[in-house]
Amino acid sequence: MAGAMVSGTAASGFSASHGGVFCHGVASGDPMADSVLLWTRVTPAPAALPGTGLGPDVSVGWEIAADAGFKKIVARGTAATGAARDHTVKVIAGRLAAATNYWYRFTLGQSVSPAGRTRTAPAAGAVVDRLKFGVVSCANWQAGYFSSYRHLAARGDLDAVLHLGDYLYEYGPGEYQARDVVVRPHEPAHEMTQLEHYRRRHAQYKTDPDLQALHAAAPFIVTWDDHESANDAWKGGAENHTEGAEGAWSERVAAAQKAYTEWMPVRYEPGGQLYRRLDFGSLASLSMLDLRSYRDQQAANGADPSISSPARTITGAAQMDWLLGNLKSTGPQWKLVGNPVMIAPVRVPSTLNTAELAGVQKLMGGTSISGVPYNVDQWDGYEADRNRVVRHLRDNAVKDTVFLTGDIHSGWACDIPADPASYPATGDSVAAELVCTSVTSDNLDDILNVPPRTGSVGVENAIKAANPHVKYLDFDSHGYSVLDVTAAGVRMDWYVLAERTSANSGSTLSTSFNVQANSGKVTPTQGGLQ
Amino acid sequence: MSRSPQQGTPASSRLSTPGRRQFLQIAAAGGAAVVLSAAPGTAWAAPAAGRTRSYVLVVDGCRPDEITPALTPRLAALRDAGTNFPAARSLPVMETIPNHVMMMTGVRPDRSGVPANSIFDRTDGVVRNLDRPTDLHFPTLLERLQELGLTTGSVLSKKYLYGIFGARASYRWEPQPVLPVTGHAPDAATMDALLAMVNGPDPDFVFTNLGDIDRVGHSDLSGTTLRAAREAALAETDLQVGRFIDHLKNAGKWDSSVVVVLADHSMDWSIPSNLISINLILQSRPELQSNITIAQNGGADLLYWTGPEPDRMAGLAAVEQLVRAHEGVLSVNKPADLRLGDEAGDLVAYCRAGWRFSDPYVASNPIPGNHGHPATEPIPFFVSGGSPLVVKGSVSSKAARTVDVAPTVGSIYGLKAPAGGYDGTGRVSALTKPRN
Repeated sequence: MAGAMVSGTAASGFSASHGGVFCHGVASGDPMADSVLLWTRVTPAPAALPGTGLGPDVSVGWEIAADAGFKKIVARGTAATGAARDHTVKVIAGRLAAATNYWYRFTLGQSVSPAGRTRTAPAAGAVVDRLKFGVVSCANWQAGYFSSYRHLAARGDLDAVLHLGDYLYEYGPGEYQARDVVVRPHEPAHEMTQLEHYRRRHAQYKTDPDLQALHAAAPFIVTWDDHESANDAWKGGAENHTEGAEGAWSERVAAAQKAYTEWMPVRYEPGGQLYRRLDFGSLASLSMLDLRSYRDQQAANGADPSISSPARTITGAAQMDWLLGNLKSTGPQWKLVGNPVMIAPVRVPSTLNTAELAGVQKLMGGTSISGVPYNVDQWDGYEADRNRVVRHLRDNAVKDTVFLTGDIHSGWACDIPADPASYPATGDSVAAELVCTSVTSDNLDDILNVPPRTGSVGVENAIKAANPHVKYLDFDSHGYSVLDVTAAGVRMDWYVLAERTSANSGSTLSTSFNVQANSGKVTPTQGGLQ
Repeated sequence: MSRSPQQGTPASSRLSTPGRRQFLQIAAAGGAAVVLSAAPGTAWAAPAAGRTRSYVLVVDGCRPDEITPALTPRLAALRDAGTNFPAARSLPVMETIPNHVMMMTGVRPDRSGVPANSIFDRTDGVVRNLDRPTDLHFPTLLERLQELGLTTGSVLSKKYLYGIFGARASYRWEPQPVLPVTGHAPDAATMDALLAMVNGPDPDFVFTNLGDIDRVGHSDLSGTTLRAAREAALAETDLQVGRFIDHLKNAGKWDSSVVVVLADHSMDWSIPSNLISINLILQSRPELQSNITIAQNGGADLLYWTGPEPDRMAGLAAVEQLVRAHEGVLSVNKPADLRLGDEAGDLVAYCRAGWRFSDPYVASNPIPGNHGHPATEPIPFFVSGGSPLVVKGSVSSKAARTVDVAPTVGSIYGLKAPAGGYDGTGRVSALTKPRN
């Protein structure tokens, strides 16, 4: 269904070579009970290419209907755009009915965009039997094809897609790809550091047919991680940023954020807050975190005592207060948290060999010292903030909190211990964490340069043994997840790709874990299409 | 202590009328006898057929995650067969008496007059339990249903519950034997009484408290890691619930029965060093210590200003500041913010998970298992039974609360809301055809 929508109603564009006026597709995002954000980008003239700053100001029409044939139009309007915002269009379609499918499209002159399907959220307090979300992160264009998006688009049963960050990557060709192979070179052909670069890179990603199909099939709910700006970003810089040589960080991150707000279907404008909450009736709330804009610089490694300093933060004080305010016993049952980096503690096991340690260190960007947190870019590097969250959940007996996480190019299902020291004896867990793997980005077998499910398996077992709250770990697979939410439980299904470098890769269900209501724990279960 | 589960209860009985109350002695399982009392003029014969029976079973102090197919198979099966509310919560103060009162009244403590187990009685000048019938200022289901021509029963394992609900039900059981340390009757004895009541006068509605899980939780000295005694209590209570279900089925009453199972609060365990004594905190400020009276409720301390009135505001502000500074204190609240009413005093302090209050002395509360604080809010809450009214195999995301019991049960019988309305919400999604 989704694929048909993407290719269905587009009128001829001004230029076949550019794919038409609406060659970057359409999208929707941040569904609320009575409104949804609609997005597109127009190319009104051949010169109006992304990032150029060229092209006329235009007025783009939009309409949203209750049927796929656009016979029951419920709202329409126009929106102005131009080179100042890279000819992107964002409108809020309001006065919509809750928990309802809608179809939308744009017009410019005689050109008509592809149609997209979206869906509003259930009304506040409404009884909701089931929610289904696609969950994805870490899609590196250069490392392969976005088959994961195609498979999600084909499902036709998603309420929304949660993109947990690393929607695009900043690197140039040869800097980061599929092991040593650049499957598809980035454009521009160098690291993005300026507004023009970020715009052009966003535009390139938006030409991917699988990505377009998924955007047209379901509303996205997004947050950024680091690669939307630069690797291991923090509030004052990034690992992959050289102050001066690559400009000032403040200017670079502002450029990245401007391009992001232009090109992503998100209710965010520069200067505002990306962290935000969306509710889905009485069943679930979703708190989307921004863990890059307010965090202090990462510690040098896991042995650095500053990781436990209460003076350091990953959320910032205001976002922490907001998050704790969302994690309460009143309101929707499930407290879902869109969490760009892992919150469950993970310690480096002492049983890895040198090569395995090096691989883990490269994947995680952390230390290889056994017994200390292995990745200080995660919440592990900001223990005081994590303790605040854990203590809040425990003190107030807040149940049914599930962190949905990306970033780490691997699939995980974890309990979040009330107290890591006593967890092996008590099993007490305050929440669960479900981590989706990468759409394409390298993971451990790629780094170790070994076939999948060979060299990584021992590492996985060692990490699980050293961290008994980690119940599932797949360091090798690429793919996507589907989250199924009911009052009885939250289940994540992990789907893995046969071959990320193949444009037509199939996918198979790998495993499923459930978080039963009131348990705060992950348990293996049967999953799949329902 | 426990007895072997047995099917049914012998029906032989003896009626006596000493004084104004009526007493009925019914032979129970194992040759024991159960004595029930009734108001003057109450008939002992069961009402006519074709009605709906409803039962509220309180598994006192049970945590929702403790109901599992392995540990409590009968409770788990009952839960899964009906409508489960996994997000259910107890309400402040998360203690036994106020939450039982909320269940039966459908209103919060600021309307019922019952905010905690233990309060400072300003009239009598003593800290005491709210265990007198006159402490409860709001009508309960137990008497309101009688106004519809229905009969009600109370089978409450704890002395203080029997005390506060007094003679409100048509038929009552006074807990016995009462264990000297815990002040409650074992679940086996309580279930004997419930079965006798169902087998004898067979009220339309019975309110039952099973106290073993809570009492063992309190006296479990093994802390947070070894909870074998509590698990044994859970298993025993599960057996007793099984007896009840089997009895209803064998007596042909299951198909007309709605069974609501919930807890009044859950339980949290502290290690010995995690102890807060507000009296000790105030020791450095004698002018405050001497003007504060503390009613300790495990995980919550109720603080009453008893000093000169002109000093009240400044004194309470200073107390609040000192108490908040303790690492084990989660919050200090105004009673009105928790809808507790004047009986709750001037400030209510909650402890963090893994802590407990001990006042007025450090040795006053030696037990590690406590409740009353927010960590003990989650409770099991499900509506089940064989009645066609029960929605089978459903799970609701709604946050049911103890105060919802009265409107939910009341809806079965078309009982109107009390004057001023309910504070609770009828969980009618668990019922196919509620009558209001």
